[in-house]
Parts: sequence; structure tokens; C-alpha cells
Amino acid sequence: MFESLLNALPVALQLGSLVSLVVGTLVGILIGALPGLNPVMAIALMLPLTYGFDPVIALGLVAGIYNGSMYGGSIPAILLNIPGTPAAIATTFDGYPMTRKGQGGLALKTACWSSAIGGIVSALALMTLAPMLAKVTLAFGPSEYFWVAVFGLVSIAVLVGKEASKGMLSALLGVIIGLVGVDAISGAERYTFGTLYLVGGFELLIVLIGLYAIPPVLEMAEKPNASYFNADSFRVSAGDGGFGLIRRYWPTWARSSLTGVCVGILPGAGGNLAALLSYNEAKRRASDPDSFGTGNPVGVAAAESGNSADNASAMIPSLTLGIPGNLIAALVLGALMIHGLQPGPQLFTRSPDVVFGFMWQLLLTAMLLLLLGGMIATRLFAQILRMPTALLVPTTLVLMAIGIYTVNGNVVDLYVMLAFGMLGYLLNRLAFPLAPVVLGVLLGPMAEQNLRLSMLIYQNDWTVLFSRPISLGIVALLTAVLFSQAWRAWRSQQHS
Amino acid sequence: MSMTYRDLFSGLAFLIIGAITAWMGKDFYDDAAYVPLGAGSLMSLFALPLIWRSSRRLLVGSPGGQAVATALVDHPGRFLATLGCCLVYYVTLPHIGFYTTSAVFVLVLAAVLGERRPKVVVGITVVFITLLYGLFAMVLRRPLPVEFFLAS
Repeated sequence: MFESLLNALPVALQLGSLVSLVVGTLVGILIGALPGLNPVMAIALMLPLTYGFDPVIALGLVAGIYNGSMYGGSIPAILLNIPGTPAAIATTFDGYPMTRKGQGGLALKTACWSSAIGGIVSALALMTLAPMLAKVTLAFGPSEYFWVAVFGLVSIAVLVGKEASKGMLSALLGVIIGLVGVDAISGAERYTFGTLYLVGGFELLIVLIGLYAIPPVLEMAEKPNASYFNADSFRVSAGDGGFGLIRRYWPTWARSSLTGVCVGILPGAGGNLAALLSYNEAKRRASDPDSFGTGNPVGVAAAESGNSADNASAMIPSLTLGIPGNLIAALVLGALMIHGLQPGPQLFTRSPDVVFGFMWQLLLTAMLLLLLGGMIATRLFAQILRMPTALLVPTTLVLMAIGIYTVNGNVVDLYVMLAFGMLGYLLNRLAFPLAPVVLGVLLGPMAEQNLRLSMLIYQNDWTVLFSRPISLGIVALLTAVLFSQAWRAWRSQQHS
Repeated sequence: MSMTYRDLFSGLAFLIIGAITAWMGKDFYDDAAYVPLGAGSLMSLFALPLIWRSSRRLLVGSPGGQAVATALVDHPGRFLATLGCCLVYYVTLPHIGFYTTSAVFVLVLAAVLGERRPKVVVGITVVFITLLYGLFAMVLRRPLPVEFFLAS
């Protein structure tokens, strides 16, 4: 295998491949930075255009867009509190407060380095551990997925914010919002009130942009027309250099990358869950957990390395077993088939140059992020903050409108976004954390579907949720998180 | 209004939302009712400590938490003007066209929020709308509401 891997390196370093990697990474950063546009859409639009190209060039573009968009999503998340992609939710927690404190440049630099490191670790995992890790995915059944979703939801609800009960209420509100629409299993309508619009449920992106992006824009609008951000935000060169960042964040990057790789191999889990779990773990291990959410760069480092580490590892089940773990992996399989290659275990023996070349391309694009993301995109986008508040507010609102409108081409989505914006503004002022709401919308349906699948498979035997070893491990981890949080709360109460 | 009153009212609101969710959920078909019932009941359950703590603080007169919370809206005039402009923008968008409405929206809201440099406002608006047009209409070819002067 390692011989095939080495033989594929010159293929990945061909001029055509390198050009496609640079173009793909730049397009990916741009796509990720624009809310409403996502890498799935960009790759889907681009694939038919690559029909006449060599498969290595086509896959180079895919690799560039995929890794570039994951970092690109962090740019509006840090500068404007708008997650460019759902995976950038956790980046907003500390990225935007850093911008408000005048450390926007440092936050972007941290995000860029963290994305690159996460991407590199993930690509290395794909290169070296793919066949072994693929077997792990087969051990996960519906009950394990149910517990993964519950773990993500409950741990974030308890850890984010000051009061656990408010976090849980926010999470449950998200779960209820996620219930609206046609039930995927029975086909029954739930909470639609006879309205056609609600039959399809609420689009995640609309809820996300409404809850997260509208409240800070309204707060910005309420301030007098002056520079809303600290002038130091413009300085991308602020803070440590690359080696300083490595020295400071390597434990966070190691933990988050490992989390991202593990989440990535689970089909359907996605970068958003990887980022939130990594953030959660970084906060839990920190000596100053209260500083998270107020502009702690470790939070940005954890979230970004976590979501980028999910990228290449999500390709493991698709390349080794032919089972796509996410939509992009499905598109990669589509790209391989367009070029006459059959995904699955035989792919490694029949077309080693293409498959191992693709692994090298994922590694190279992760490295390119430091150059293209750090030196060009970050400096360019940081200039956004120079705009006066009175112009930043309407231009941001137009950007949100175009992002939301292009999702379904429906104006009603804009009203819904505004309504969620008002809800987010109110919850903010009532000191309810917003992250668990979004997480509830995201993980609620995942938990429900897997719970019901378990019940269907095991004929309503509830003990199955507690009898499988992996499920028990996750339950034990969840219990440990809850107990450690309760212990901390009790100790801080004793101190005060 | 103090944070204690806000906690009390938000706790009551969550209690009611949870109860309604569970009550409506009980009628759903078979296992489609599991999660609605569970989520609604849990929401009501988690609302109770919030209501209990805030009512106890109010009855005992203990300050617990922030005695005076930040205002719900810092500057009602600017807040309402922004919301009003957004609503007008969304209503007119499908009739007048995306790029025209967006340009007018940026110009008007910038003026409403206190930007008094016409050259800066017009310059940034033109550059911004041109970039959007280039990206969405020419490169990505995304369908957006057609301009009124181009509609046949």
C-alpha cells in the first residue's frame, strides 16, 4: 500500500493537478465565505464541467473546494458572526467575540492554521488508517448514532452558558423546531398547522443565519455610526507567528483533530458535530472554562481543527467500502463513476494512482490553506471591518438575503429568517445560549430517527440502547461530562 | 425589568410551549409521538427550576443574579427603523427585482443609520451590487427576482 502511495505522489504534483488544487482552494474559500453557498452545490455544479478532464484534475478541484470551503466558512463566522457553513457554528462562539475585542486578525490566523492542521491530520489518517478505520464504521448501529447525537446535544447544552437549565431549555427548543414538518419515517405531518410552507420543515441554514447573524447585525444597527470594531481587528499580522501558534495550540489541535477524524468516519455525522464536540472538549479541559464564549482563541482553534479534521476522514467509508458518509463523499463517488472508476475495495488495486493521488491532493490543499487562506483570503476579507457601521449593516443584510433566497428561491424564507432573528435577539437578552438551539435543530432529527430505527429493528426493546458496548461507552462518557459539570457547579457555589 | 422577572416570564413561556408540544404530540401516529411527547415534557420539567428559583428570589427579595438586566432593546428607534427597512425590502424584492431593491435598501438604510457621506455610500453600494451581480448572475447563474425594467 505504501508503495502505491509513494507512486501516486508525482501524479498529484503534475502541473494540471497543482493548478486544479489552487483554483479549487480559492473557489472553496470564496464559497465557504458566502452564506447560502455550500461546497456541495459548488462541487455539484462543477462536476459536469470536468467530464472531459483527467480524473486527477477533477478530483483536485473537489479536494480544493472541500478543504477551502471548510476554512472559508470561518471568515464570516469570525468577522460578522454569520457561519458561512453549518460546520462553522462553533467558530462563532469565540471568533466573533475576539473580533469585538480587536483580535479579528488573530482569530482569522488561528482559524487558518487550525483548519490546515486539522486537514493535514485528517489526510494523513486517510492515507495510513483507511482500511482499519473503515471497519469501525461498521460497528456503529442506530443505537450508537442515537447516543452520539444525545451526547453532542446534552454536553453542549450543559457546558455552553452559565445555567445548565437554560442550556437544556434552549436545546429542547431546537429539538422542537426540528420536529416541524413531515416525519421522515411515518410520513405524518407534525406541527405544520395545515401550512404548506411548514410541511418541509425549517431549513437548517435559515434557522442558523436567523438565530446567529440577525441579532449581532441588529445590535450593530443600534450603535451610533462609528467604527463598531476595534482598529486592531484589521491587523492580520497581530499575535504569534506560525511557530508560536503551533507551540500554543498543539495539544488542542491534537485532541480536536482526533475527534474530527473519529466523527468523520461515522456516516452522516458531519463537520458541525466534529467542531462542537472538539470545542466542548477544549472547554472542559481548560483551566479557565469561563473565558470560552468571550473570545478565547483556544475555542477557535478547537472548532476549526475539529471541523477540518472531519474532511478527509469522511472519505474513508466511501473510498474503502463504497458507502458515502456525507453528501460530498457521495459526489466524489459520482466523480469517480463519471470517469469510469468503480468505488469500493477494488478501487485501490485497479486505479491506485487516482485514489492515492486524491489522498495526496487532500493533504496538499490542507497545506495550501496556509498560503492561500492566510496570505490572500484572510487579508482581503479582513478589510470588511473597515466599512462604517451604517454601511456594514445593510450590506450584511443583503448578503444574508441573497444567501437565503438562493436556497429555495422563496421569499417566505426571508420572513422566517427575520422571525428566527427576533427569537435569537430575545433569547440573547434573556441570557439563553443560542448554540444549543441550533444543535437541537441539527441533532434532534438524527437522535429521533436512530432511536426509532433501533426500536423498529429490535421490536420496541428499550434495553438495546444500553446493552451494546459502544453505546455503553458513550453513555459512560455522557455521565462523566454531566458529573464533572455538576461537581464544578457545586465547587464554585461552595467558593462563593 | 430585573433579570428575575425575565427568568420568571421566560420559564413560564417555556412551560407553556413544552406543555402544548407534548399535548399536541400525543395525537401523532404511533412512534412519531415519542420524541414530541418526550421533548415537550422535558421542556416543561426544565422550566420548573427556572420558575422556582425566580419566584423564590422575588418572594424572599434576594437579589440573586443581575438585579437590573440590560435593556431588551438599546435603541428602539434604530432597531425599529432597521426592522422596518428589512420588511419593506423583503416585500418589494420579488416585484422590483433583486439588484435594484438591494441597491435602494443599502442607500436608504445607510442614510437612516446616520451615514452622511453620499460619495462613500454610493461608491460602496455600486461596488457591492456589481460584485454580487458578477458572482451570482454571471458566474454562478443563480435565479434571483428579475428587475422590473427587464421583465416582459
